[in-house]
Amino acid sequence: MAEMIGARDLVVELGAERGLLRHRAGVRAVDGVSLSIQAGETFGVVGESGCGKTTLARTLLGLQRESSGEIRLENAVVSGTAPSLARRQRAAVQYVHQDPGAALDPWWRVGATLAEGLRIQGLTNRAEAAARIAETLRAVGLDPAFGERYPHELSGGQQRRIGLARILLLRPKLVILDEPTAGLDLSVQAAVLRLLRDLRDRFGLTYLFISHDLSVVKRVCDRVAVMYLGQIVEQAPAAELFAQPRHPYTRALLGAAPRLDGQPVAPTLRGDPPSLSAIPAGCRFHPRCLHADMSCLEREPVMQPVAAGHGVSCHHWRDAA
Amino acid sequence: MSDMLASAPEAPSLMTVRDLAVHIRTDAGLARILDGVSFSLPPGGSLGIVGESGCGKSTLLRAILGILPKGALVPQGQVVFQGQDILKTPVRGRIGFIPQDPYLSLNPVFRAGDQLLEGMRNHAPGTRDDHRKKLIGLFHAVQLPEPQNALDKYPHQFSGGQRQRLLIAAALACDPDLVVADEPTTALDVTTQREILALLRGLTAERNMGLLFVTHDFGVLSAVCEDVAVLYAGRVAEYGPTGNVLADPRHPYTRMLLACHPDRATDLIGIPGTVPAATAQPPGCRFHPRCPISRPSCAVTVPEMARIFDGSRVACPYHADPLPEVALG
Repeated sequence: MAEMIGARDLVVELGAERGLLRHRAGVRAVDGVSLSIQAGETFGVVGESGCGKTTLARTLLGLQRESSGEIRLENAVVSGTAPSLARRQRAAVQYVHQDPGAALDPWWRVGATLAEGLRIQGLTNRAEAAARIAETLRAVGLDPAFGERYPHELSGGQQRRIGLARILLLRPKLVILDEPTAGLDLSVQAAVLRLLRDLRDRFGLTYLFISHDLSVVKRVCDRVAVMYLGQIVEQAPAAELFAQPRHPYTRALLGAAPRLDGQPVAPTLRGDPPSLSAIPAGCRFHPRCLHADMSCLEREPVMQPVAAGHGVSCHHWRDAA
Repeated sequence: MSDMLASAPEAPSLMTVRDLAVHIRTDAGLARILDGVSFSLPPGGSLGIVGESGCGKSTLLRAILGILPKGALVPQGQVVFQGQDILKTPVRGRIGFIPQDPYLSLNPVFRAGDQLLEGMRNHAPGTRDDHRKKLIGLFHAVQLPEPQNALDKYPHQFSGGQRQRLLIAAALACDPDLVVADEPTTALDVTTQREILALLRGLTAERNMGLLFVTHDFGVLSAVCEDVAVLYAGRVAEYGPTGNVLADPRHPYTRMLLACHPDRATDLIGIPGTVPAATAQPPGCRFHPRCPISRPSCAVTVPEMARIFDGSRVACPYHADPLPEVALG
């Protein structure tokens, strides 16, 4: 399989000031992330709030400039450019907002919102635009008459579909889905997930799937990366990650997810995630880790191979197994 | 009212909701938001209310908390709390409330202590100093860091999980007999959620408080509640011990809804159609337009709550019929 998008040692620093008079260190929201997403796959990124999931997405998208590291899109290096140019270069990468209702202008009919995207892309022929909008609305399972509606006339599930239609119009190759099912009812969530799968197959899309709902990630993702404080601590095929998590953080995260069949299995994780402005020395997870010893405090772990396609960044992954 | 109470079930009840209906007049007609909802909660028991958006969960909570919107009609039913119909005589300070969003529920410009103490001033006996001592004790119980100083902090100085701990302490401050929680962990990460749920269940059980827990997450439900009532379009579709309902759901709606859960589904299909608008509830069984096994009579007769086995009841006469494979994915 060919690589769709990749990153090597990606670092994103937020809030840094390097002026003549003021010098302030920022926080490293993404700190040395390397990944490679293959064409046609669904790649999941999970982690707690503040772990850098969304910053990673914004950087791959080109909305946030990386501080160092490299981003490849279809084997061409696209990093190192200013955001305005970066977005043009990366038109094949599109983003579906976490709350697509909030991303719609309440004063505009959804048809007008959809047409705007096409106009920005340079499609000025109205008849052709209308035909493409109708076709795309049908693809996301809505009647073309929905173009005449206002955002408040749509249900949560319909808003998600419009959010998808909006980017499908732009014929993307990679779609970044940020919490695509947050706040949806179970029955609607199932329909949206099914639609995502159908669209991927029909249009040959690649998904970067950001979520904190582990049941959903397990269900739809081919491979999963677990992030903690700006770093990927474990990465594996989804089935393997859920069956045999190696990193103590992954274990705690999976164990904490509420289960239909009763009680959670892993020991509780103590404390809230530490803030990015006070990153612990050594292994970032050591203050919350049950297996931490002096080596975790002294040395930062590097990603080690566990099995084919399965990597973990922990000194003690063998003991914890 | 008295003879209805006399025929109450054998078990002692902390709260009994009996045949409750709440209607609201809207421009689009009468919205029948709740219609004939009944359940009961024993002292120290825990009941989960589950259902999708628009099923009436919030209105049910508002009725119990005595904060129904202006213009809401209660054409029938009672909410009996410790022997008293609280729709007629509101109770104060005996029902604690934990809101959904810890970020929106605290005023950012006042210290946490001032906000919590204000609530206690009217509803808890004792002086302000007693109240401070009590809150600090509760902060220990909810495992808030630096409980001694928490009263003087502003809301932004707490993380999301800590704010939810703070609000749990606030809900327990007046020693309520019932705690009502409205999806208290939706805004939190799973690791924090797990701790908060364990804390909530532990504290209410330890103090013999009843817990009424509204959620749309079946996983959370199974971690917290002994019993569950599944609401659909303003009516109880199924009611029973949580383990039974999750392992062996009987109502076609519960069966299809659980089949949508990513842990369960073999294929993701959802439930065809949408929840009806409260102003246009279908006659008969409200689920019949979406039900794969509905019969002509379902469109006419409102199904009775049938007892299926001890403690479990279901509002569907055809609950023993199999659903077509395709409906369950």
